Amino acid sequence: MDTVTLTIDGRRITVEKGKTVLQAALEHSISIPYYCYHPGIGVDGSCRVCIVKIEKMPKLQIACSTVCADGQIVSTQTPDVVEARAGIFEFLLINHPLDCPVCDKGGECPLQDYSYTFGPDQSRMEFARRTFDGEGVRADVDFGPTLMLNRNRCILCTRCIRFMRDIDGDAQINIIDRGYGSEIATFQEEGVHSLISGNLMDVCPVGAITTRDYRFKSRPWDNPEAVDTICTLCSKGCNTTAWLRAKPEWAKGASLIRFTPRFNPDVNGYWMCDIGRFEYHWVESEDRLRRPLVRDERGVQQPASWNDVVSRLGDRLVQAREGLRFLLSAHASNEEFFLFSRLAEKLAVAESARGPREDSESSSAAARASGGGAPRAVNNARGPREEPAPPTQQLRWGGEPGPPTRQPRWGGDVPLISVGWRYRPKSQPEPATFRVPPVDAPNVNGARSFGFVGGTLADQVAQADLSAIRAAVEAGQVSALFVFDPGPEGSIGDTEWILRARARGVLPLLIVQGVLLTDLARAADFVLPGASWVEKEASYMNDQGRLQGVSRAIPLPGEAIEDWEILVKVSVALGVPLDYTNAAHIRADIATRFDDRKGFEGLATLEFGRPVAAQNWLQASNPSERWKWDFMFQDLPPVKGAVDPLAVPMPAGVIPLREVK
Amino acid sequence: MTFHPKMAYDATFHKSARTLEDEGPPFVYTPENRARFEEIVKRYPPDRRRSAVLPALYLAQDQAGYITANAIRYVAGLLSITPADVEDVVSFYTMFHTKPVGTFVVQVCRTLSCALNGAERVTESLTAKLGIKPGETDRSGTFTLVEVECLGACDRAPVVMVNDAWHERLTPEDAPRLVDDLRARGEAAVSGCHHVIEQRKP
Repeated sequence: MDTVTLTIDGRRITVEKGKTVLQAALEHSISIPYYCYHPGIGVDGSCRVCIVKIEKMPKLQIACSTVCADGQIVSTQTPDVVEARAGIFEFLLINHPLDCPVCDKGGECPLQDYSYTFGPDQSRMEFARRTFDGEGVRADVDFGPTLMLNRNRCILCTRCIRFMRDIDGDAQINIIDRGYGSEIATFQEEGVHSLISGNLMDVCPVGAITTRDYRFKSRPWDNPEAVDTICTLCSKGCNTTAWLRAKPEWAKGASLIRFTPRFNPDVNGYWMCDIGRFEYHWVESEDRLRRPLVRDERGVQQPASWNDVVSRLGDRLVQAREGLRFLLSAHASNEEFFLFSRLAEKLAVAESARGPREDSESSSAAARASGGGAPRAVNNARGPREEPAPPTQQLRWGGEPGPPTRQPRWGGDVPLISVGWRYRPKSQPEPATFRVPPVDAPNVNGARSFGFVGGTLADQVAQADLSAIRAAVEAGQVSALFVFDPGPEGSIGDTEWILRARARGVLPLLIVQGVLLTDLARAADFVLPGASWVEKEASYMNDQGRLQGVSRAIPLPGEAIEDWEILVKVSVALGVPLDYTNAAHIRADIATRFDDRKGFEGLATLEFGRPVAAQNWLQASNPSERWKWDFMFQDLPPVKGAVDPLAVPMPAGVIPLREVK
Repeated sequence: MTFHPKMAYDATFHKSARTLEDEGPPFVYTPENRARFEEIVKRYPPDRRRSAVLPALYLAQDQAGYITANAIRYVAGLLSITPADVEDVVSFYTMFHTKPVGTFVVQVCRTLSCALNGAERVTESLTAKLGIKPGETDRSGTFTLVEVECLGACDRAPVVMVNDAWHERLTPEDAPRLVDDLRARGEAAVSGCHHVIEQRKP
């Protein structure tokens, strides 16, 4: 790597060749303010606040567009720099309204922070400020379906323009008019229509662009808790931060107040899409399942206790065990997939122990074809299987070899476990550099690792193929269908056929383990309330084959319990008990059983985010600048004003002020 | 685009004070202008077609008299850029009119050199003679008076540009005479030697 060495504020700094002075300073915790520069959308040089003095250059230079050179001597704190910088801040604030107390950006606003640090202590502006649409929050205008715009607050850094041009690929925002009248606008006030428009709120360094979803809902210092997690609404697996409202547990309303992207260069960069950002309200909606439901003799779903549900489920399932099939959403985590595969394996062993049956001829042949008598738990997502499945698709059954197993009775072509997901190509402009994948489920690759879905981790994911299980259900061959759907409504794909089969009476028993009271759950005999992705610690494998964990951000609603716990209960009801005591135990077991399987390395040591401690709110704050704290955080106190000046030890020889007579 | 039925989209809604572009009638180039556009676009590399936005807009303005929203969409489509990009250019340059203008667009420079040489008195004199304020068009549709930024003739300040030609060193006393001359002799009355758009002249 080519490097250059320069001096900034007396510190000798060595950086990669081609970096700018601003990047070098940020990487080494030297504070230089900036607005128009953003590492994700590059250099513009329009705000001018990053000016520094570089020796042998005739004038002050902007650090963001000056490339580092050997022997450069840069100073950021000399009196001329300080004065010029304060002058630029004075200009930036000439027309900026002083509505910080009602502005949504207040508390996480780079303009606020930097003005306090670098700006002049008072304004000399004695004329009326220029206003565009009105005063105060009345100046907020419509800016597309997700955003609001307040032009008075805009400092024309053009970050939003460059984001739309370079990242979104459709330059819908531009500067209209010129000079003093310049303003951010869309053509004919059409607003921003984009699948990634929410990022404009993050890149905006002032409160000009805010999201409707978060508007007037909270202040950053009131909501100190934030949890680093990932988004599970598609197969990309963007790294995100879940923000929580600070409220007593008994208080009404939702805890989740927003999601913001978290920098991960390998997955999502600095961005996330609007679906992940705004589509979280279902987690705490009225439709959440809070208690287990059982259909009684009159056909009405009644709430029941877990013990009751498990015993009644056991009664029903033991008769139907042979014809039991599982339909899982690709929203299931690796832990849950693993438990289902263990369950299927134990069921197969138990069934085979019952002894041969009359029609075992064809099914045992199929079992041999699928390799060594293991239950065929492969969903033929890749079309008909002409050849035996490659070993990577096979489950490696741990421990118990048992007697030679065979497919359960209607085994022929009906897999024990099928995995479904919604395939929904998103419409984005052709040059977009941040693309949202078409698969609305986080863990198709996990299902592949467990052999439920064909294909390797690197393959493109296509539509889910549920034709085998669907045909079996419609033919009445399935006596009990266990659906596991921990995702939002519709994310498992089309379920109409299950409802139709229920209506026709060919599906005698339907069990739904999920999070929302969907039509499917309403049609079920047993409804088992589970956890959504913000309520559990679990691991997923994204479309790159990358293992990532979600973190527990909020408690489970009502009597809902975590899904692994439900599955252990179900296994007991089925008479094939699994003995796991916590999710970490399951992860450890996966790690030992699949140690040679690519993708599960590091599963046992996966780290999960914890709520950021309250006094460090600034660390989690500032979504637009969040990436910066990785470099710079140690430079600033964790809480504004929290450093008690009297607590700082006096240097020797200084007489404390209050003792001066 | 709705992401969740319970998402609050009914936030307080205020219309921007910004005046939108006049939609105007449907716009396409005449065949001659289209041929001229194709010729202009050839001057730029194929991946820099957007560089032709200024001549393309001049053609549109010459054809329709002023730039309409439909013309902006049409030009954007021809150059494969977004209407916002084109509107950016249209709103920046004072030479583009987004409202119907008179036969003679009298543009008084008000930037430094002209201002020091009494440009605002020229404006006052023209205002008195024409009976319209800067930015307005007279009732007969003959004159539009606008104040613009530097016209690039600082050595002969104060300067007034009528349509595409300069009238230099215009004193406040001469201004009414210019108006009379324009009424009598048309553009021939203008003394300017520089023409902004060579194609317009036969």
